[in-house]
Amino acid sequence: MIEFLQQAITGMMIGSLYALVAASIVLVYKSTHVVSLAHGQLVAFGALFFWLFIGRLGIPFWAGLVPAFVLTALIGLLIERLTLRPLIGQPLIAAFLMTFAIFIALEGVFVLYLKGQTRALPAFLPEGNFEIAGLSIPINQFIGFLVALFLFAAVSFIFKYTKLGLGMRATAEDHRLAQATGITVRNIFSYIWILSAIVTAVAGIATANVMDIYYMLPYIGISGLIVAICGGLDSLLGALVVGLLLGVVENVGAAYLDPLVGGGVKDVAAYVVLLLILLIRPYGLFGLVKIERI
Amino acid sequence: MRPCGVFDKSYALDIAIIRTWQHWVILISALILLFLFPLFGSYYIISFMNYLAISVIVGLGLQIVSGYCGQISFGQAAFMAIGAYTSAILTIKFGFSFWIALPLSGIMAGAVGIIGGAPSLRIKGMYLAMATIAIHFVVIWLLLHMEITGSFKGLFPPPPSLGGFEFDTDERMFYVIMTVMVIMTYAARNLVRSKVGRAFVAIRDNDLAGEVMGVNLYYHKLLAFFTSCFYAGIAGSLWAHLITVVNAEQFTLMHALEYVGMLIIGGMGSIPGVFFGVLFIRILNELVMFTSPLLAKAVPWLGTSPAAALGLVAFGLALIVFLIFEPRGLAHRWEIFKASYRLYPFSH
Repeated sequence: MIEFLQQAITGMMIGSLYALVAASIVLVYKSTHVVSLAHGQLVAFGALFFWLFIGRLGIPFWAGLVPAFVLTALIGLLIERLTLRPLIGQPLIAAFLMTFAIFIALEGVFVLYLKGQTRALPAFLPEGNFEIAGLSIPINQFIGFLVALFLFAAVSFIFKYTKLGLGMRATAEDHRLAQATGITVRNIFSYIWILSAIVTAVAGIATANVMDIYYMLPYIGISGLIVAICGGLDSLLGALVVGLLLGVVENVGAAYLDPLVGGGVKDVAAYVVLLLILLIRPYGLFGLVKIERI
Repeated sequence: MRPCGVFDKSYALDIAIIRTWQHWVILISALILLFLFPLFGSYYIISFMNYLAISVIVGLGLQIVSGYCGQISFGQAAFMAIGAYTSAILTIKFGFSFWIALPLSGIMAGAVGIIGGAPSLRIKGMYLAMATIAIHFVVIWLLLHMEITGSFKGLFPPPPSLGGFEFDTDERMFYVIMTVMVIMTYAARNLVRSKVGRAFVAIRDNDLAGEVMGVNLYYHKLLAFFTSCFYAGIAGSLWAHLITVVNAEQFTLMHALEYVGMLIIGGMGSIPGVFFGVLFIRILNELVMFTSPLLAKAVPWLGTSPAAALGLVAFGLALIVFLIFEPRGLAHRWEIFKASYRLYPFSH
């Protein structure tokens, strides 16, 4: 039992990062109805920029956070301005394919920069473990977990209680109606991408804190997208719940099933979960069911 | 639009794909040139064309399910892998000849494709696209973890032979691959203008409206997936016996994304579009291959072997440009060109 709980706790730490990536995808979907694959690259570039500042230039980590956020937000803004805005009015699947094109192009840049090596962030959070009820939890992962939860609360707050959030919700409902009530829809799109890119950059930095920066890092964006879809693309709560759940399933599954099937459960667990959830509840666990008309 | 002075005087003429004697001359001479090509082409060009033709077969399958039936699928590489493994297992472990294993591997991939297409009954759009990504990873994982597929080592299928004649070089395989490609293109071109093809288009344009019009959604979606995966399986089988090594490493998600990219660049919903897309992507890739050593010399920052990464950048940028400026792809440009030269010197 204690081993199970230990695995579950470790999974939840990773799961909170999935949830964070999923939250930024949900943010974009909620206001622009674009499902984004490109967030995986934002994760990778967020981590890479942070490494550039604190690993390469050697400035303290709190000073490195700001330029890393600014640069990642800039990428997010450029994605929106240059590639997604020309597609407004076209079928949504075109925007989805566009984010997939961006994923490929940025993947090339990322691989080009890494040149097959890995980059490790210097330890910038306190190391070591602490114990609760016989479970040992790494401190740096726990801080990442707390930051993720805090960001979740912040994003939900912005969405629910600020004027900007109101504009975002109105835009999600109907672009034209929002424009008619005096909301500048174009600006909302830019803000959303900036906000989402910063949230993703945090996820990237927290991920790079746990593992090295290497060529598989962008694929955490696919895990994030899976979480977003399983939770329902328009539900922040779904992203949080399913994110944590997926982390637990991956870790516990790997611990208990790997000896039976010969390894690699971690790579495939997320996809099996996605297929099952899509078959049972096509709009995700917490998503709104849409009724279609001809 | 039709060439000037060509009238449909009978039903046979009305449904003909090839309308004028000039078309027949061009088609037949092109086919003859294609089959005489190994006599004067260099080894490099021939193996490149083999690769092109196999990509065309996969692309045709994807065109049917994505371009005509509107179900975006990122699973094509996985179904190609199923075809390749089926063919390899049938020939190595069960001693089938290649000529029987080829259609069987197509049917096997198609059967798995029906299972893979089952989510399409309830979900569509990007949900389905994500489901096919999931299917890709599950299939590749299974292939890597099963006993019969040789797990990480892979399989080594023999080259095909016919009456003692071994198709063991790229020049010899060229004939097999090109024959299959021509047959598959002919079949696809006719499938999409049949009753079934029109049902596919109805589902793509509006599935609810199609259902109201009497199109059986489930049957036709599954049929589209079966056909598409059948094509992928055939291509996989050819691929396996061409390079005589089958390994799950050859079928990555990036390959599946590449096939979707080919359709975007070539044009969704057009059989010639597949050819344009495949040519564009593969030639772009070769160009990057050739120019990247020069670039690496000029810009030392790029490192020693930037070819793969630069290829991704070029591919991604090409996709972005096409999605913004010509979402209907090269096939649409080709139609515009055809219309303008038929009307020349008038503008319309």
